[in-house]
Amino acid sequence: MSSKEVSVKASKIKMPRAKFDWKEFKKQKVLMIWAAIFFIYGIIFYYIPLGGWLMAFQNYKPKDGILGSSFIGLTKFINLFSDTSFLLAIRNTFAMGIINLAFSFITAIGFAILLNEVRSKGGKKAVQTISYLPHFLSWIVVTGILNDLLSGTGIVNELLMAIGVIDQPLNFFAYPKYFWWIVGFSNVWKETGWNAIIYLAAITSIDPSLYEAAAIDGAGRWGKIVHIILPGIKPTIMILLLINIGNVLNAGFEIQYLLGNGLVLDVSQTIDIYVLKWGISQLDYSLGTAAGIFRSVVSIVLILIANGLSKRLGEERLF
Amino acid sequence: MKLKKISTAVLATMMVTSMMTGCGSSSTDTVETTGSNASKEDGASEEAPKEIREYTAFYAVPGDELNSGNKIQEIIAEKTGARVVETWLTGQTASEAIGTLIASGEYPDLIDGSDGTGLLYESGALIPLDDYLDDYPNLKNFWSEEEWDKVRQDDGKIYWIPQFGNPYEKDMAPTPGEAFWIQARVLEWGGYPELKTMDDYFKLIEDYNAANPTMEDGTANIPYTILCDDWRYFCLENAPQFLAGHPNDGSVIVDTENLKIVDYNTTPEAKLYFGKLNEEFQKGIVDPEAFTQSYDEYIAKLSTGRVLGMVDQWWQFQNARDAIKQQGLEAQGCNYIPFALVADANVEPDYNTESAINPANGVGISVSCKDPEGVLQFLNDILEPEIRILRGWGIEGEDYTVGEDGLFTRTDEQWTQTSNATYKADHLCTYSYLPNYTGLLADKLNTSDPVQQPSEFVKSLPSDVREALAAYGAETYLEMMDPADAAPGPWFPMYSHSNTMTTSTPGGTAWLKMTEIKQKELPKVVMAEDFEQAWNEYLEAYNGTNPQAFLDEMQTELDARVESAKKYAK
Repeated sequence: MSSKEVSVKASKIKMPRAKFDWKEFKKQKVLMIWAAIFFIYGIIFYYIPLGGWLMAFQNYKPKDGILGSSFIGLTKFINLFSDTSFLLAIRNTFAMGIINLAFSFITAIGFAILLNEVRSKGGKKAVQTISYLPHFLSWIVVTGILNDLLSGTGIVNELLMAIGVIDQPLNFFAYPKYFWWIVGFSNVWKETGWNAIIYLAAITSIDPSLYEAAAIDGAGRWGKIVHIILPGIKPTIMILLLINIGNVLNAGFEIQYLLGNGLVLDVSQTIDIYVLKWGISQLDYSLGTAAGIFRSVVSIVLILIANGLSKRLGEERLF
Repeated sequence: MKLKKISTAVLATMMVTSMMTGCGSSSTDTVETTGSNASKEDGASEEAPKEIREYTAFYAVPGDELNSGNKIQEIIAEKTGARVVETWLTGQTASEAIGTLIASGEYPDLIDGSDGTGLLYESGALIPLDDYLDDYPNLKNFWSEEEWDKVRQDDGKIYWIPQFGNPYEKDMAPTPGEAFWIQARVLEWGGYPELKTMDDYFKLIEDYNAANPTMEDGTANIPYTILCDDWRYFCLENAPQFLAGHPNDGSVIVDTENLKIVDYNTTPEAKLYFGKLNEEFQKGIVDPEAFTQSYDEYIAKLSTGRVLGMVDQWWQFQNARDAIKQQGLEAQGCNYIPFALVADANVEPDYNTESAINPANGVGISVSCKDPEGVLQFLNDILEPEIRILRGWGIEGEDYTVGEDGLFTRTDEQWTQTSNATYKADHLCTYSYLPNYTGLLADKLNTSDPVQQPSEFVKSLPSDVREALAAYGAETYLEMMDPADAAPGPWFPMYSHSNTMTTSTPGGTAWLKMTEIKQKELPKVVMAEDFEQAWNEYLEAYNGTNPQAFLDEMQTELDARVESAKKYAK
């Protein structure tokens, strides 16, 4: 266990129960003002918009507004869950969310560790810079590249044909079974470098004396990775895992929207696309809001479960 | 030195502008835009700033944006005192774009909602035009009372001005709408045979492709492709109505004898059509990428001249025709000739009908517009004879010449130039989604659209098309098909109703579900190894979407249209 983690735990135990103190408050006036700004910001931009949730229980019409629309109870939720398209959208969102989470997690940590082992400083910098550049590309560009790569005359088909796996070009976008994996791998390509940065930073903050100690005990490179680096960045890993689990249902919108077509409709539609198609495009904001509420609630539940598990296992946690 | 002059002028106008704003002028956005615009003009001409009103427009259809400072746009701005900056749909469907606009509550001055027009009305985003129209005679007379009545919504008011399907004096269109297209080189190779049925059509394509599998440069042909991107998938799904000999009602067939709505998705013609496509797919004639390509990829394919045939609307592959022209591919016979195919040689085709108003769509003025009078004045002004010439033909001497007999003509260079994308963006300004007549100009001699000018039309034709048409004894594309005769009835076209449906009614919900199922299942039907099984699966999924609810609502609308037309029956 790293020294840092020990100290964090220690300080938590020692923390005295805070009592409100005017003197203290005045002393920290500037801090309080800053805190107040963010507090107000949070109220305005996170809590007040929640009032819009009312729409989910109304037959909302933009002409009448929230105050003028009639309440219809849970009808929209019932419509939502009796629609197979929505159930499919939930499944797809979960599936792609989990694939993305698993892939991006493993590749980012692996990549960070590998990068850390690179001896040449210049080489390391160059690889790192190049690998995180795709993060700045927009999805429309990435899907353009994907379309080229995977087209009938694209490099992937040419390669597969050259090594004799297939004898005629495969139209990857026509088969539902490939879709999730195409999305997963493009996420990896786009985000690995970027996600690795934070792990790389965590690795650099490991106390160098630990490596020396390990070397004296006879640990090689592999030994150091397993016994020093991984435990050293475990708190970072846990926190990011928790945050990402809350994001599973944000599996994306753009890539599925841009790559989707009629043939793969059943596997490509995510909750976001559903909301756009059946909610916003049809002026049925109530339905869209209902789907949004569902997503938020599930995300919160997921975070709570993950956090609880983490707590029970004695690991780092969010709250 | 010159730079200094320009910057002085810019500074001066900025100061004037800020002073004017300071005075609390009521029309702030007019002043603002005048500032930016006048500074540009002043830099060049050093004249006193002229007040040009500027309006924004969004059309929920894809289109080509004009470059700022577009020459004819500036001339029209000078003559009418206003300019409209147009933006078009990119990468979304119309409903999505409009839905997002509505959610934001901020609109451009002018909107054409396309498929989302119904949404705009429902959310109260457009202002009623009834009280204004009488003051703008050109606009008021643009449609007859009967036609305006069709545009009225259920609250009895007019919210948008349909801008298409309005020929002045007479319809001059030499081009069809939807058709089965086939390249001129295929026809030439086959000795210009008569093509009546899908069997004739695909037989010729198959034979040609077997004999000539590549283009001259060795690029492999794509014998037949299908545009199937999002809403454009009508190129895949609506052919059964034509094959059965019905005109383009779009979403349904109208049985003209009994005045009943018929669903074309399940007719024997539909099964025949998809069965044929399936057969051709198995033979490798149908492009394997057809169902996964985007519209842009489709146009790119057509532009290379590789595609031998497809179903499409004339207006939808304009960019491909331009590209074929620019690359000189007509020498290889890569341009397309239309055919009105039918399911059975005895069926009389009815692909084309006279231009008719489509009351479901039009350009409206949004509630965000601060100066509706100004916008309407502009729309009224651009219907003036002089402006119509500018919009259609361009500048005399640059884009066309006037003969002694008053006939407008274009040279070959001018034709090539005006089909160049850059030139179009810099120079031409048709305001294509604002009201304009088709047919003739006010002189009743020249056509509104240069392409329709009979003397010019032949000249504008690529050489391969000219030869093919001559071989069939036709002078225009349209003469290859059935004539554009009168609409079958006052209800035509029914798609103007289905386009406005939303999920607020059971029929609208069914319509969206049907579309979703068709987009998913029809490609599978075409690609399936076992057609019968796939067809049955399609029917099952299709019937699960409650199409009857949709058909019932269409029937109600048909009855209502027939009823309201009786008022005007002579």
